[in-house]
Amino acid sequence: MGVSQISVFVENQTGRVSRLTGILEKAEISIRGFSLADTADFGIARFVLDRPEQALEALKEAGFLVKTTELLCIELPDKPGALDHVFSVVAEAGISVEYAYSLVSTYVALKVSDIRRAEEILAGQPVRLVEQDELGHVVDGT
Amino acid sequence: MSNQANQTNQANQTIQPIYDPAVECATREEIRARQLILMQEQVAWAYERVPFYRQQFDALGLKPQDIRSHADIQRIPFTDKTALRDHYPYGLFAVPLTEIVRLHASTGTTGKPIVVGYTKEDIEQWRYCIMSMMQMAGVVPSDRVQMAFGYGMFTGGFGLHYGAEGLGCMMIPASAGNTERHIMMIEDYGTTVLVATPSYAMHICEVGEQLGFDWAKSQLRVGLFGGEPCPPKLKAAIEGRMHITCTDNYGLTEVMGPGVSGECLSSRDQQHIIEDHFYWEVIDPATQELLPEGSEGELVLTPLQKKGIPVLRYRTHDLTSITCEPCACGRTTARMAKVRSRTDDMLIIRGTNVFPSQVEDVLTGIPGASPHYRLVVDNEAGLDRLTLLLELEPQMFSDAFVEMDDFRHQVGDKLRNTLQLSVKVKLLEPNSIERTMGKSKHVEDLRG
Repeated sequence: MGVSQISVFVENQTGRVSRLTGILEKAEISIRGFSLADTADFGIARFVLDRPEQALEALKEAGFLVKTTELLCIELPDKPGALDHVFSVVAEAGISVEYAYSLVSTYVALKVSDIRRAEEILAGQPVRLVEQDELGHVVDGT
Repeated sequence: MSNQANQTNQANQTIQPIYDPAVECATREEIRARQLILMQEQVAWAYERVPFYRQQFDALGLKPQDIRSHADIQRIPFTDKTALRDHYPYGLFAVPLTEIVRLHASTGTTGKPIVVGYTKEDIEQWRYCIMSMMQMAGVVPSDRVQMAFGYGMFTGGFGLHYGAEGLGCMMIPASAGNTERHIMMIEDYGTTVLVATPSYAMHICEVGEQLGFDWAKSQLRVGLFGGEPCPPKLKAAIEGRMHITCTDNYGLTEVMGPGVSGECLSSRDQQHIIEDHFYWEVIDPATQELLPEGSEGELVLTPLQKKGIPVLRYRTHDLTSITCEPCACGRTTARMAKVRSRTDDMLIIRGTNVFPSQVEDVLTGIPGASPHYRLVVDNEAGLDRLTLLLELEPQMFSDAFVEMDDFRHQVGDKLRNTLQLSVKVKLLEPNSIERTMGKSKHVEDLRG
C-alpha cells in the first residue's frame, strides 16, 4: 500500500534542480507531485512519480543521492474541510505527520509515523486511499 | 647594551629609531661570526641537557665541538613539530621546571598542543626581540599601545605586551573582543598603536565606520599585526581606511613567539630577522639541501639564546627567500620575504593554527562522515571564516531535514571543540570534491 517517494539531495546551486528534472524528462517519467524545500546550503527534492523504480535508477546513474520512502497517499473530496478532517483523524490516533504535500488533482501525500495504522483508520473515512499503480494512469479530469 | 640603546632612541624619536644599532647595523661578517659562537653555545646547551638531542647527536657520532664553522651547522639534524608533540609537555625542556617562569602553547597538528617554557632569562631575551621589532615598525617610547590580541596561552598577547612596556610605551591591555569598547578606548585614551591580527583590525575599522567614527581624526598611527599572514590587499585597505601605517611581524611559538622578524618602514614587503637571536637557513623542502641566498625555500630557524627549550634547526614549513643586502633603514640584518605559503596545508585563521589532519581526526570519529572534504577560508566583513565542505555519504542522506541538520551540527560542534574555531559545515553531493592523484587539495584559501 501507499506510494513510493523518491527524495533527492540537491546542492543549492543554479541549475541543479533543472538537471534533476531533465533526467526525469528523458526517462519519460511523469511527476505526480513534488515538494522542494531548502535550507541555505542544500535542498531535498521529493517526488511522487508514475514509475519510481525507473526514476531511481536513472537518477542514481546520473550520480544523484537518492532515497525511497513510503508515503501515505489519499484522494480527498474536493470540498472545504476535507484536509482538516484527515489531519484531525490522524492526530486523534496519535500518529504524527512529518511532512505532507499535494499531488495532482486532490491527491495528498503524507509522511506519517505509522503508515499501516494511518491506512487502517482512514479506511473508514470519506477519503480514498491511493496506491502506486494508480499513479501510472492519467488522472486528468478526476 | 639595551639601556644605552634605549637612551639613544629616546633622544632620536623623530628619526626612525633602531633599538640596538651595535647589533642591527653591524657588518655581515660580525653578525655571522657572533651567530656561530651563539650557535655553538646553544648546541652544547641542548646536547648536555636534552636527552632527545643527545641521542640524535650520538646516533650520528656528532659532538657539539664538531660544529666549528657555518658549514658544520648543516650536520645538525632538523627538528620537526612532531618532536615537540612527541615530548609533550616537558620532554624537551633543558632546565628543571623550577627555573621555568612561564608556559605558552600553540596548536599541535593533532590533539595535544605544543608546549614551550621560558626561563626568566628567556623572557628578557624575548622582550629584547619584541622591542627591536616594534622599533622597526616605528613605535617609540611615547606611544600608547592597545592590545587586541587575546592574552592566554597564545604567545602574541603577553609577548607584545611586555615588549611594549619594556620600550617604555603606555600599554593598554584591552585583549581581544568587544570591538565597540576597543573603538571607545582608541578615541578616549588616545591610542597610537594597535596590536591585532590583520583580520581583527579590519573588523575594528569596519565597526568604527558603521558607528560613524572618523578614523582620520584618531591618534592611531601604527598597526602592529601578527598571528596570521597579512594579505597585501587587506593591508592597503586598512591603511587607507584607518589612516595608519600597518606593519606585520613574524614569529612562531616553537622557537619563541612573535619577535623572530619584523617589517621596517623602508622595505615593506620584507621583515628583518633578529639575527642575534635566530639563526636562519633556507632549504629545499624536498631534498633538505641548503639553498643559496635569495632562493625561495623552507625557512629553518634555530633560536640562539634560549635556555628553557632549545630547538635546533626547526623546520617552520613556511616558504620565504632571504636577502642580506643592507636596508635603506640602516639595518644590516637579513630580510626575509613575507611568508605567503607553506610546504604543508596549515591554515592560520584568526590567529589559530588549523591543520587538515585535525579535521580528518574529527571526521574519522563521526559515524557516516565522509573522508572527502575541503576547507575553505574566506573573509567576510574583515573576519576570517572557515567553511568545511563535506561530501554526504549515501547512508547519511535522509528525506527528513531534521536528521540532515542534526548531522551537520554534530560535525560542526565536534570541529569547534577540536579547533577552537566556529566552522560552517556545508554538505555536498558525493563525488563533488575533485579527486586528485598525489597530494589532494584539502585547503582553499580565498583571503585576498
